[in-house]
Parts: sequence; C-alpha cells; structure tokens
Amino acid sequence: MKTTTYIEAITEAMAEEMARDERVFLIGEDIGLYGGVFKATKGLQERFGVDRVIDSPISEAYIVGGSVGAAMVGMRPIPEIQFADFITPSMDQIIQQAAKIRYRTGGQWTCPMTVRVCCGGDVGGGLYHSQINEQWFFSQPGLVVLFPSTPYDAKGLLKSAVRGEDPVIYFEHKRLYRSIKEDLPEEDFTVPIGKAAVRREGKDITIVAYGLMAHRSIDAAKALENEGISAEIIDMRTLLPWDRETIYESIKKTSRAVLVQENTKTGGVMAEVSASITEDLFDYLDAPVTRVCGLDVPMLPFAPPLEHFFLPNADKIVKAVKKVMEY
Amino acid sequence: MAANQTVNKPSLKQISLSEETLMGLYTSLLRVRLLDERLRKLFRQGRFAGTYFSAVGQEATTVGPTYGLRDEDIIGPSHREIGAAVTKGLTFNEIIAQVFARSTSPDKGKSHPCHYGSRPKGVIHPASTVAGQTVVATGCAMAFKIQKKDNVAVAFFGEGATSRGGWHEALNYAGVHKLPIIYICQNNMWAESVPSTLQAGIDRFADRAKAYGFPGVTIDGNDIVEVYKTASEAIARARAGQGPTLIECLTYRWYGHSEIDPANYRRPEELEEWKKKDPVVRAEQLMIDLGLLTNEKREAMVEQITAEIEDAIKFAEASKYSEPEEAYLDVYSEKIPVRREES
Ligand SMILES: Cc1ncc(C[n+]2csc(CCOP(=O)(O)OP(=O)(O)O)c2C)c(N)n1
Ligand SMILES: [Mg+2]
Repeated sequence: MKTTTYIEAITEAMAEEMARDERVFLIGEDIGLYGGVFKATKGLQERFGVDRVIDSPISEAYIVGGSVGAAMVGMRPIPEIQFADFITPSMDQIIQQAAKIRYRTGGQWTCPMTVRVCCGGDVGGGLYHSQINEQWFFSQPGLVVLFPSTPYDAKGLLKSAVRGEDPVIYFEHKRLYRSIKEDLPEEDFTVPIGKAAVRREGKDITIVAYGLMAHRSIDAAKALENEGISAEIIDMRTLLPWDRETIYESIKKTSRAVLVQENTKTGGVMAEVSASITEDLFDYLDAPVTRVCGLDVPMLPFAPPLEHFFLPNADKIVKAVKKVMEY
Repeated sequence: MAANQTVNKPSLKQISLSEETLMGLYTSLLRVRLLDERLRKLFRQGRFAGTYFSAVGQEATTVGPTYGLRDEDIIGPSHREIGAAVTKGLTFNEIIAQVFARSTSPDKGKSHPCHYGSRPKGVIHPASTVAGQTVVATGCAMAFKIQKKDNVAVAFFGEGATSRGGWHEALNYAGVHKLPIIYICQNNMWAESVPSTLQAGIDRFADRAKAYGFPGVTIDGNDIVEVYKTASEAIARARAGQGPTLIECLTYRWYGHSEIDPANYRRPEELEEWKKKDPVVRAEQLMIDLGLLTNEKREAMVEQITAEIEDAIKFAEASKYSEPEEAYLDVYSEKIPVRREES
C-alpha cells in the first residue's frame, strides 16, 4: 500500500499504462518538460520521450481531433484539456467525430481515446477557470463520461478508460488534486466503468453526488448523523452510462433522495437522474426528489462571496435533506 | 543605459513625431510599468485573490497601437493587455477595483482580476479562451464597415493564440472583406512553458497574413516609436478602407506566465538579454536625448503616478465585495427572469 494523492493517482495511471502499452501517448498544452500546469504529467516526457508526451500548440480542436485520428489507426491517445473552460474549441471533434465514428461506420472505425479534462470550482478561479461541462457530454450517446472523486477511482477508472474501446471524457476536479489522499494497492487494479460506489450506508435518505460534491455530501452526512438522520451516500463515478441499479436499490430502501451537483441546475446530470427516479420509482417515494446544485447563472462568478453563494456545500445539503425528511 | 546610447543623438525631425505625442507615449509607458509592478507586489503580499498576469517588458506593444485611438474604436484584448486598458483610458480605480474583484469594478467582481474592460472606452472585457477577442473584434470591424463608419478595431493576442482555428477564421474573413482591423501579435517567445518554435513551423508569425491576403510585418516590439508609427500607418489604412494589417511585435515577458509560474523553463541569459532592451528605459533615453525629459522631471512623474496608484489601491480596498445576490444579475436583460434558489 502507498499513500497517494488524487493527482498522483492520475500520473501513476498514465505512467503505468504507457509502460504497459506502447500505443498509449499524451498530447496537450504545457504537458512536456513543464509537466502540466497542475503537474499531472510530471516526469513523463523525460521518461517516455517527446513522441509520446507531446507539447501541443494552443489548438484544442487539434489536440482532440488529432487524437481521434490517431485512435482510429491503432493508437491509444490521452489528450489533455488544460482547463475544462477551454474544451469549447474541440467540441466539433468530440461531438461530430469521437461520439459518432463507430455509429456512422457500422462499427468499422472506433475511437479508443481518453480526454482528460481538468475542471471544477472552489479554487478562486472565476468565470474561466472553474467550469465543469459534464452535462454537454452527458447528453451525447457514443461517449463515456467519467468523474472520479477518490485517488483509487481516479487511477482505476483512468486505466479502464485507456484499456477500453470507446471515447471517454474523463473529468478530474482540481480542488481534489492535492486535498485528498488514500492508500492504494501496489499491484495493478482497475475500476469498472458504469458502476457507482456506496460511500456510506444509511437508512433514512439517499444522497447522490459525484466529484467534489461526493465529499461535500459525506460532510453533510456526518453533520446529519448528529441530528439522528442516517444518510446513504452514493458516488456516481461514471456519469454516462450511469448506474441506475445501485441508485435505485438505495432509494427503494430509503424512499427519499437528494441529488447534489456542482454545476448549474437546469439541464444538468441530476435533472436526468431525478426524472428517471420519478418515472421508475414513483411508488417508492415518500417525498419529492430534491436537487442541490450550482445556481442557474454562468459558472461561476469570481469574487469570494459570489463563488461561495454559487456553490453547493455541506450546509446547503443538510438544509435540503431536513426539508425532505420533514415532508 | 550604456547599451542604448547612440553616437548621433536623434532629432525630433528624424523621428517625425510631435513632442506632445512622444511625451504622451512615454507617460503611458511609465504609468503602465509602475502600475503593473505594483500589482505584482500586491499579489505576492496576498492582498487580492486569484492570480495576476504581468506584462512587464511588453509595454510598448500595447501602448503604441492604442495611443491615439478614438473612444469609438474598439480593442479586443487578451489576458496581458493592461497597457492597452490604461492607454485607452480606463482609470486606475477601475483597474485596481477589477483586480481586487470589488463591487466598484466594471464587472462587479464576476470575471477575473486581469480582465479589464469598459464599454464607454471601447475595451472589450476579455474571456480567457485565447484568440476569443480576435474573433469578436473582427466582428466589430465587420459592423463598422456595414455601418459605413471610419472606426477601427484592434485585436491583441500572443503568438500562441495564432494556433487556434478561430484565429484563422477571423483573419481569413477580414482579408476577404478588407475589414478595418489591426491585428497585434505580441510575440514574447513563450506561451506559458511552450516556446514559439513549437507553436508554428514558420519563423515569422507575421507571415501568416500572406495566407489571408493582407500585409504582415515584424517589428521591434520594444521600440515605442517603431510600434506607434507602424500601428498608426496601419490604422490610417484601415480607416481609409484599405483593409487589415498583422503586426508582429517581438518582445519578451520578464516574469512568469502568471505570478505563480517560476518560469524555470527559460534560460536566465535570455531574460538578461531582453532586459537590456527594456522598452521603458529605451523610451526614457530617447526623451532625454531629445531634451524632452530630465531626471528631475522623471522623478516628479514617478512620484505623481505612484500617488495616484496608492489612492486607487485605497479606493479598491475600501470598496466592498458585491452582495451575493449580485450573482443573479446581468445573466439576461431585465425581461428574462433568472431562476433563484430559496434562501
Ligand atoms: C483556448 C485556450 N486554451 C488554453 C488556455 C490556457 N492558456 C492561457 S494563456 C496561454 C498561453 C498563451 O500564450 P500566448 O498566446 O503566446 O500569450 P502570452 O501568455 O505569451 O501573452 C494558455 C495556454 C486558454 N486560456 N485558452
Ligand atoms: Mg506568448
């Protein structure tokens, strides 16, 4: 066992996959000698050379589109988007190429590519260094969308993505990079795509979250415990395709659900989860399925009081849970 | 600065700029340098949040093209254009309140410390996506043509931004329609940690203009006179309906990409070489050689500008942050409601 931070887990996953499979290569801005703006690729260019750890020009359309092409002819690219905010120039390549190449060619061409996207708020990053845009990809069949919240999942899911046959958008939350650690096994392991994790068992209410919000939800559950409310926490981990089974099983037990998402509320991942629960589990529910989300304003304003106001936190989750419990 | 002393002292006639213009350019350079260095210090002292992108060493590339523009002319800046903001007329109060993200900032604290802008002064508050304002400023120029106005647009960006597809789409359009726009490429040799040699397969970024059918020139971006004159000619041509120009200004940023970047990917000698070409010191020397400036006068200017900066810092620090509810404002026009959470 080795104590590993979330960002170290990501670095290790890439290093181990590159050592295991020579088809794996990295491309992105400032990822080479500099080791990435957050140091996720530290030491990798020295170890694997400039052909496998490529410092790209500022060309996101190419970083992703070029990776799609390379994947089509036998490579396993891991392109990096330095900040999720700057994924926009590559949308054409992700939506029109990566997501549809298999479908439009009768399965002849495929795109085994893992786009690493550094995202998330609560870092004082303001309007252009805090965005998460998971919901844009969540609505695109053909893509897999991952969002780990622990070092174990960060490493295991990244490996599954690289070894898989499909295009993956892999969100990593910059607030988690160095704020959480855990002991990881020395031997090779993967985490299956499409499986949620029960982070904490409980009987009164189910809280569903992912990314940073999984941690905020655990904080809320601890506070709720003192007040005699037992909350079960489910961390989705894979957003597309999401794990209905685990979430439904929990709600059948608790009959109440609060869904937490850092991003803006309208049209988000939790809108879909909520609609599905209401459609499929109506008879089990004792209270309305309730969401705690970022505000419906551009994600997210810079000044500290505005950022705080925008973001969901443990207090806001506790408040929502109590309301649902009292219903 | 021994390195810059010339044997034959220049004359105003040779330079063919008025005393007033030269003094105006120099004053702007000095204001920008003093403000920028002060803001760096404030960041290092933890007096404001986020980060800070210094443009020290590059001042001439933003002051030159902006000086002499009209309020109705639009500039589309990027993240390193404090010099353009100051020269286009944003006040120190506006700039420092922006940096401190206070309610008195033009953006009320919503965007980012270095995203200076002002509608009345014709400065587009930038987004961070590089080359974004190059595209938008080109759109402004398209409108000026349709409106038959003789306004111009000036887009500022680094050499790294020229790798983006949107940048090429904009310049292509401007070439087809001979739009009244001037593209200022600040080639400071680095885009974060990536050298310009990994950004383009050509030596001169100005050569990119060839593909779009308008002139591209590469100049000494640390020579305020050369920058000002080259830009002025381009602006005059644009106003006269003769289309765009791409001006590549060779320059160098003295500090890290942002204040949290130690910039240890560069050789120290490279920085030392460029420090010898300090655009502010060169302008100063020129002014002294022309008899337009003395040490005493310079001291007095520094003192007065410094006092102005300190006043603006006081103003910003005394200003409050916006109330949280401000987060809901300016999402839409008043006609469209924003969904608010219960509080
Ligand atoms: C589309 C996009 N990709 C990446 C970034 C992150 N980023 C910010 S500035 C920068 C380098 C810009 O280099 P250059 O255009 O040369 O300007 P300079 O910083 O040198 O002034 C990068 C990669 C961004 N802001 N936008
Ligand atoms: Mg540059």
